[in-house]
Amino acid sequence: MVPFRAENPLDLPNRKCTVGCPNLDALLDGGVPCASVTELASESGCGKTQLCLQLLLCAQLPESRGGLSSASLCLFSEPPFPLRRLQSLSLSFFGTNDPLDHIYVRGVHSADDLLATLDRVDSLLSNPPSSLPIGLIVIDSIAALFRSDFDNNPVDLRRRSSLFFRIASKLKAQARRHGAAVVVTNQVVDVVGSDGGVRVGNYAWLGSSGRRVCPALGLAWANCVNTRLFLSREEVVVASDGSSEESARVCRTRRWIRVAFAPHLPESAREFVIVREGVFGLLGS
Amino acid sequence: MGISCLPIAPSQRAKLISAGYKTLNSLSSVSPSDLARDLNVAVHEAADILKIASENRLVERTFGGGQAIVPGAQTAWDIFREEQTLKHITTFCDDLDTILGGGIKCKEVTEVGGVPGIGKTQLGIQLAVNVQIPADYGGIGGKAVYIDTEGSFMVERASQIAEACIRETLDNFVFQHKDYQMCPEGMQTNTFLSNIFYFRICSYTEQIAVINYLDEFISEHKDVKIVIIDSITFHFRQDFDDMALRTRVLSGLALQLMKLAKKYSLAIVLLNQVTTKFTEGSFQLSFALGDSWSHACTNRIILYWNGDERYAYIDKSPSLPSASAPFAVTNKGIRNAVLLCKRTRMM
Repeated sequence: MVPFRAENPLDLPNRKCTVGCPNLDALLDGGVPCASVTELASESGCGKTQLCLQLLLCAQLPESRGGLSSASLCLFSEPPFPLRRLQSLSLSFFGTNDPLDHIYVRGVHSADDLLATLDRVDSLLSNPPSSLPIGLIVIDSIAALFRSDFDNNPVDLRRRSSLFFRIASKLKAQARRHGAAVVVTNQVVDVVGSDGGVRVGNYAWLGSSGRRVCPALGLAWANCVNTRLFLSREEVVVASDGSSEESARVCRTRRWIRVAFAPHLPESAREFVIVREGVFGLLGS
Repeated sequence: MGISCLPIAPSQRAKLISAGYKTLNSLSSVSPSDLARDLNVAVHEAADILKIASENRLVERTFGGGQAIVPGAQTAWDIFREEQTLKHITTFCDDLDTILGGGIKCKEVTEVGGVPGIGKTQLGIQLAVNVQIPADYGGIGGKAVYIDTEGSFMVERASQIAEACIRETLDNFVFQHKDYQMCPEGMQTNTFLSNIFYFRICSYTEQIAVINYLDEFISEHKDVKIVIIDSITFHFRQDFDDMALRTRVLSGLALQLMKLAKKYSLAIVLLNQVTTKFTEGSFQLSFALGDSWSHACTNRIILYWNGDERYAYIDKSPSLPSASAPFAVTNKGIRNAVLLCKRTRMM
């Protein structure tokens, strides 16, 4: 019996799922890769969830438009699920609410619950409930599951990183077997002190809202994802009447998305905006 | 003894071969200035090549093949001579090749570790491509086995790296040897990609099984000259309550890989993750899988950030001095770092 067959890299699937904006797709060289785990890390209010919702919809676009022609699954850990926003995005991208029929949603409330759910997802992936196969799994957010249940002692930390690797291994196996794209979101923690800890990825200094931050869950989790994208925001004064009063200033939020590390992408960044119609990258930023 | 065995940089080997110097004897009556002209290199560089060549000729002449006293036994001298003929796989970064003594060595297990995003997978793909540079172009013309445990092998990236490798190899060659008839047979991106045997592993049981299967696989594909495991660690960092068992399993795998390396004279490259370890009141980076694993590999290279530059550091090697060298990850793959101070630091 030959347990394994060597594969020719030329025969490997090489699909990407569009994020619904050509400028953002350009940054990602076509979108979010299938059979791979992509992480979106940022502080709250940067647009992670917005981008996830848009992805959940875009997976249903036909392949001619960069999508996967498939249904999607969202496991969320920070209730409530933003259904209204999903609805308005669906109207913006499809002009109808029909795509919502092919987006499966489930809340998870702990790491163990997530693992148990992922076991059940196996059969969902093998026997999709509708005519469309499931091509995208979103977990929003992974960090929320790990921020309360674990103490800062060696035993808990070891248990925590062992769980990271179990979850990541499960996700990667599902992504590989079903050719699905996996997107997880992560929070950030402030970097205290001048040392800054271990540098991970292309940027020695990651900032958001004027503070120095780094993605949560530490080095162990960083080993678990294939691609890490970092989203940030800054308040920028766009107009001022010259006086020093706060009220006289007009501020605008500028947002950026950066490739922190990726096996297939160079270091690059792009400014993006969140508008009623969705999340869009800006040209020439 | 051919040029291909000379312990010099692969780029110099390629220049020698393309200038028509195929054997050591052909170098015996050349003056450094003639050689410098033929190779289009500096005179002192040509002199260095001639010096190495004459030393190797001497070695060859003085000590012809001896008889082993015990069947299967080798004298240290035999082993030394064998090591002299060992082939290297270039990394395409001159500084890194220099501290490695010409590149990644065949017949040895080399472990490469670093933080996520430092370029471990990039180095892995680069080696899987570079091993295929044909002997005529100064390479070793082998094939690669790539065992992917993390899913980071991206075909589009491998394709970019292979394309750049082929273009540069051909460019160098034509530049050196203008009248040479271009015959890029097999020098095509798709051929290079097809010569990578790719295994995707989703659990540690699969990983153990595929390493057990390698012997059989390579006996059928003897032209495999490098096995890359990216990474050895990932599946062993979950679910192992019995750490002693994990250590035993891993040592077993390491032994098997070492045997493979010797038996088929191929290079084994294991990519490893790093973790933070709490020692003496501060957190330090160390390789994953613990202390006993550190005995498993012959060579150990750490990739790390130094400011905004990527560096490689030889942490452990029986034959190479500790040294560090900068490298860069570009759109073409692993290349020389662009630095103000490009000198290799010896420590």
